[in-house]
Amino acid sequence: MVQVEGLTKLYGEFVAVNELSFSIHPGEVMGLVGPNGAGKTTTLRCLAGIIPPTRGVVRVGGHDIVRDAIAAKKQLAFFTDEPRLFDYLTVWQHLNFVARIYQVPDYERIGAGLLEELEIANKKDALPGELSRGMKQKLAIACGLLHSPRVIYFDEPLTGLDPIGIRRMKDSILKRARDGAAIIISSHLLHLVEEICSRILILKNGRKIIDGTLEEITRKFSEQPGDANLEEIFFRATSETDAPAPAVPPLLPR
Amino acid sequence: MISALLYLQYHTFRNRLVSRFRRLKQPKYLIGAIVGGFYFYFYFFRYLFHGIGGRQPVNLAVSPEHRLLFESLGALVLFVIVLLAWLIPHERAALTFTEAEVAFLFPAPITRRTLIHFKLLRSQLGIFFSSLFLTLISRRFGGNVWIHALGWWLILSTLNLHFLGCSFARTMLLDHGVSNRLRRLLVFGLAAAMAGSVWVWAKRTLPELGSADTANLNAILDYAQRVLTAGPALYLLYPFRLVVRPFLAPGAAAFFGALAPALLLFLLHYVWVVYSDVAFEEASVEASQKLAVRIAAARAGNWQGAKKNQKAKRPWFRLAATGPSATALLWKNLIGVGQAFSPRLWFSLIVVVVVAVGVGMGNAGRGQSLLFLMALLIAIALGYSLLLGPQLLRLDFRQDLPLADLLKTFPLRGWQIALGEILAPVVVLAAFQWLLLVFGAALVFYLPGRQTALLLAIALGAAVLLPVLDVLLLLIPNAAVLLFPSWIQTGKDSPRGIEATGQRLIFALGQLLVLALALLPAAITFVGVFFLLKLALGYAAAVPFAALVAAIILAVEAGFGVMLLGRLFERFDVSEEHTN
Repeated sequence: MVQVEGLTKLYGEFVAVNELSFSIHPGEVMGLVGPNGAGKTTTLRCLAGIIPPTRGVVRVGGHDIVRDAIAAKKQLAFFTDEPRLFDYLTVWQHLNFVARIYQVPDYERIGAGLLEELEIANKKDALPGELSRGMKQKLAIACGLLHSPRVIYFDEPLTGLDPIGIRRMKDSILKRARDGAAIIISSHLLHLVEEICSRILILKNGRKIIDGTLEEITRKFSEQPGDANLEEIFFRATSETDAPAPAVPPLLPR
Repeated sequence: MISALLYLQYHTFRNRLVSRFRRLKQPKYLIGAIVGGFYFYFYFFRYLFHGIGGRQPVNLAVSPEHRLLFESLGALVLFVIVLLAWLIPHERAALTFTEAEVAFLFPAPITRRTLIHFKLLRSQLGIFFSSLFLTLISRRFGGNVWIHALGWWLILSTLNLHFLGCSFARTMLLDHGVSNRLRRLLVFGLAAAMAGSVWVWAKRTLPELGSADTANLNAILDYAQRVLTAGPALYLLYPFRLVVRPFLAPGAAAFFGALAPALLLFLLHYVWVVYSDVAFEEASVEASQKLAVRIAAARAGNWQGAKKNQKAKRPWFRLAATGPSATALLWKNLIGVGQAFSPRLWFSLIVVVVVAVGVGMGNAGRGQSLLFLMALLIAIALGYSLLLGPQLLRLDFRQDLPLADLLKTFPLRGWQIALGEILAPVVVLAAFQWLLLVFGAALVFYLPGRQTALLLAIALGAAVLLPVLDVLLLLIPNAAVLLFPSWIQTGKDSPRGIEATGQRLIFALGQLLVLALALLPAAITFVGVFFLLKLALGYAAAVPFAALVAAIILAVEAGFGVMLLGRLFERFDVSEEHTN
């Protein structure tokens, strides 16, 4: 569903993402973890077509995110850690707007269902300024799920949610995965990643350190099977790896 | 304790100044500072130093009678400002602190009075720069620089203290059970009684203004002078006169003579403020939080979010779930336009129109002159709509750029997003202009002379040309914001001062140049077609046809412009927007 080949993002001399390759399939939930500045958000932004990769190819549902951006973007949803909303549109107007952008004919039915599911149906006519941080997050999620995306990226999805919201969010992510969506979650909350992700990719200084199921990476970074949880593995992986300041790869034409 | 607060104030100011100088290493600020410096020198500073190569300031040579009139008018303005300060606000007293100041100072062992002193000290910095700026303006009309500067400082400082004292007094009244409504009634009643006494005195004592006098500005000023400088107004405005008098002093002796009573009034205000024992902390914390939210929104370029009270607005039309996607952006931005047109704005617009028409009627007399004046006002409004409209209606990329990452996730091509973004201001501007043209066309039938057909043809030509002109005018600033995002002023935290003024000037000149280039082919074609058709069909038919051809050329340019804007948006790298 998502194929990434040699993804590289440079900011001048600085290498934010370095030759990253991986792929995820329908129903998979991949956790993207790494220390601050590892390139997680930049990777997600490249995968969502928000920023152009310097090099490499990203395919979403078989469509190149750069060359066939429209077809690729129709299949995905990207949830940022800070909900991005229009201050002057009400909750329902947001859904109406997004429905037209993604051409969702029965948005009223789907939208009402999503608002019910996310427990903000009573805030239909409220402006974002009248919503709490968690409610804004829920509205952003409702907007993103309105067109039933097949690929979903989450950047720190639990920020600002209360315990009930966190539980519902986890259930919602797993439900979408069971329905066949390919999901990537970038988070510092390792227990969340451990709990809901079927695969994990650890990034450091823009480079992939390891990519595999929890079992696979546990096997690689444990002295004996079952001696470490993800937190322990994360520390071992990010400290053991000699991750020098990445060299600037040669500039090649795409 | 106050020394710690002085330390905070001094270092805040100093560090801000240092960082401003440091950023001059960046060409965008350096060039802006140079251009801005030239602008301020040529328009303001050279009037301060007219003895060393600059031009002599415009000398109004205020006579003692005129000085008395200006003093009265100044006092009247101050009276109205003070009256409004007692009438309008409804909040409890709140000293505006930043969130950091609240976090550090409120839990600290600092007395309420010290906090007030800190607030007063800090406001002095703003008053100093305001006085300097106002002196640069007022100095152009003659007078002594130092008298102007000190005069402005005294006026602004006294007003500042009065506003503070007034907010404390309002809070005390609320604490004693005097509601806002009752307070407003009392103040309004008092003001009405004052105005009534002046009116009765003027009616009994002064000869009435004749109808011929109402058209004569000098007669009106003379009447105003007699009303304000004798009878009850003389005494009612007396304290306000004391504040204005030093500013209007013709020389050092008169200034120092006027300074003592003004300073006494200032000191009385100071005592009033400092010895008011009013709890302002809770309201201040709330105010600082609101301020922080507004500043954060404005820093992100989000002026809608920076506004105080937003209310949900109805959409201008029903948006179906399917159809051209760019319409969704138009629909969204039109809702945003609704936010800008608040009841207060409508009220202000109505007041401006009523005053303009009233002044026009007064000066133009009756009959045809009024029609001419209205036609002239329409023409001026049309001109200003082209000049100011695209600057004021910013519900396009200039508004949405902070959400560029969201827009980029939409499955739309760049040109679709560009078109959708600029459509809302175009629709609003064009509707306003067409409305003016309809009024103008209706007036044509009542104007004397035999130019009806030609004037209607001009109106028709303008109706065809204006919407495409609007598109072009809006394309330029939108392209600028995508090309030079860090140059465009997007929030309160964006550069202020001389360098920012210089940057704005550079942009204004650049926009003018691009517009002139864009208009050139259409203008040449218009002239050619007009002269060809004029010979065959006459003026009245030639104008709309020539306008139509010119509009087609402009529309083609606008089409290319939208494509280019879309390409710019597609290439706009949101991760690098602040690194330019």
